[in-house]
Amino acid sequence: MSRHIPALLFLLPLFAAISMPMACLKHREWSRPLAISVLGTMIGLSLVNLSFVLEHGAIHYDFSGWAAPLGIEWVADPLASLILVALSFLGFVALIFAGAGEPKNLGGRIVHFYVLILLLISALTGIVFAGDLFNLFVFLEVAALSSYALVGVAGGRALFAAFRYLILGTLGASLYLLGVSYFYAASGTLNMADMADKLPHLLISRAVVGGLLFMFIGLGIKMALVPFHAWLPDAYSSAPESVSPILASLVTKVALLGWVRIIFWVLGAQAVLQDIPVLLLIGVLGALATVIGAVLAFTQHEIKRMFAYGGISHIGIILIGVSQGNQTGFAGGIFYLLNDAVMQAALFFFIGIVIFQYGIRHVEDLGQMGKQAPWLIGSLVIMAMGMIGLPPTGGFFGKWYIILGALEADNYVAVGAILLSTLLTLAYFVKIFEHLFRTPATVTNPQAVETPVAFQFSVLVTSAAILILGLGSDPIVGLILNHALPPGL
Amino acid sequence: MIRPHDSIIVQSLGRFLIPVIQLFGLYVLFFGQYGPGGGFVGGVILGTSMVLAILVFGHDASRSQLSKKALHGDGLGMLIFAGVGGLCLIGGGEFLNYAHLHIPGLEIAARRSLGIVLTQIGVAIDVAVTAISIVFSLSAEEIIEDSTNG
Repeated sequence: MSRHIPALLFLLPLFAAISMPMACLKHREWSRPLAISVLGTMIGLSLVNLSFVLEHGAIHYDFSGWAAPLGIEWVADPLASLILVALSFLGFVALIFAGAGEPKNLGGRIVHFYVLILLLISALTGIVFAGDLFNLFVFLEVAALSSYALVGVAGGRALFAAFRYLILGTLGASLYLLGVSYFYAASGTLNMADMADKLPHLLISRAVVGGLLFMFIGLGIKMALVPFHAWLPDAYSSAPESVSPILASLVTKVALLGWVRIIFWVLGAQAVLQDIPVLLLIGVLGALATVIGAVLAFTQHEIKRMFAYGGISHIGIILIGVSQGNQTGFAGGIFYLLNDAVMQAALFFFIGIVIFQYGIRHVEDLGQMGKQAPWLIGSLVIMAMGMIGLPPTGGFFGKWYIILGALEADNYVAVGAILLSTLLTLAYFVKIFEHLFRTPATVTNPQAVETPVAFQFSVLVTSAAILILGLGSDPIVGLILNHALPPGL
Repeated sequence: MIRPHDSIIVQSLGRFLIPVIQLFGLYVLFFGQYGPGGGFVGGVILGTSMVLAILVFGHDASRSQLSKKALHGDGLGMLIFAGVGGLCLIGGGEFLNYAHLHIPGLEIAARRSLGIVLTQIGVAIDVAVTAISIVFSLSAEEIIEDSTNG
């Protein structure tokens, strides 16, 4: 039965999403427990799946029983299974968070909201597991469509940002599809494993190089790599507070994972290390992204935008990690991807609570919070330590391994870029803390009410996860190094 | 809000054409196993026939509760699809591997045929409902809002 789990992990949220309008026709308050129980089940299933995959090796699941190059294949290798554990965990926490603020935040469209969240989760699962390039496109599109709708679900000002996101996102998806069609024209197959066998003889083909560029630009838009990042801050800062954590923590990272799969599993480590200088390209762009993102974050006044730019800067760090062409850098990059997903979720939980409880959106107003929520500030300190990369947190170990990898590759520019972005991250968190602590708390918000347990739960769990990822960094990085490395690296 | 079309020509032609289109849609749906066709196209044709009906006879031509609830029919289509797929899983095969659809007295070929028809019916319901929902939400948002949230 365990070999069916990858399929179930995808089908469960999909079916729950589409049957939800019917199941919750009479009682729309059922939608929340239904969605949360689906995500809870997914956590359990993904853990079982991870342990099964680690023990017995990757699961190749053929839908309908049609074998791989012809049929639709699901590949649950250790990397995908590991990411999926993080995905279901973060989805679960984000749903619990969303439930506490839903009525005033979503304009009453509660069933819509849960349907879209579950569709998004199932599509992200699909991207992680997809064994062929076309299905990767399909799930990118499903994830993107539900993200557009989620950004605009509350209507009003967010609709403009959602529309802009839609235009750029569709452009990215079309470019990716164009790239896939070039690959298909050159190799005659769409299945990743099959294509990996055929591509080594086709590397001189212009279709492959051109297709690779189109795919890169398409996925670059999806993962908000710096020249293509313009949609992200607007979309995430004007999205409802219940929505932005799940978008910020998962969507861009999963697109990045898709790109990692294409470079290392479809093109193959051999090709990218020797024949096609794609690692150099993403290394340079990653270094630019991490510095420019951090500079832009420092210049922001709206806290949500600041964190959104922080996320853009961290995408660059992950790209630097995976582009070093050695095992240490790759493991560090993937480990940092997990950390960054957790940290982004935590930061957007924090700012969501600040907006819900105190109505504060700008850095300058943070002093008004006073001393009412020590647990909130305490967890912000942990998040800041993670973002900056101070020792007991996962952020430190991620950066540590990435820098080790860069040194191993004699890539001192990358080391410099990471250190520079670390300093800039420190700078914008100092800015936040300065306003939090130094401004005398003259104005105390009289409307500050009791914080819902769901808010406390989500912030505390994710802050704890940042620390746990740091303390448990050895076994996790060991797991990536021993099981999840691409062949030939 | 879409009002009934006021031309008698359109109304009479609609009365004649809509059943024909629906019959053709059903034919495409059930012919899908043997030739070009299937759930998606069949569903699109069925859906557009109902869209035509809305355009010709107006939004509230049918006041029955059923027609409002039908907007949630994508849940039903999905349940059929998931049910057939799930039965294959329980039968020991992969998802949607119809050979493992354990129905006594049927050969494997017949099982595959039956499984495909059932899943395509599910797909057709979903596609048709989606087509109508799009028209409804473009023409009168409050109907969607009420039926989902009321």
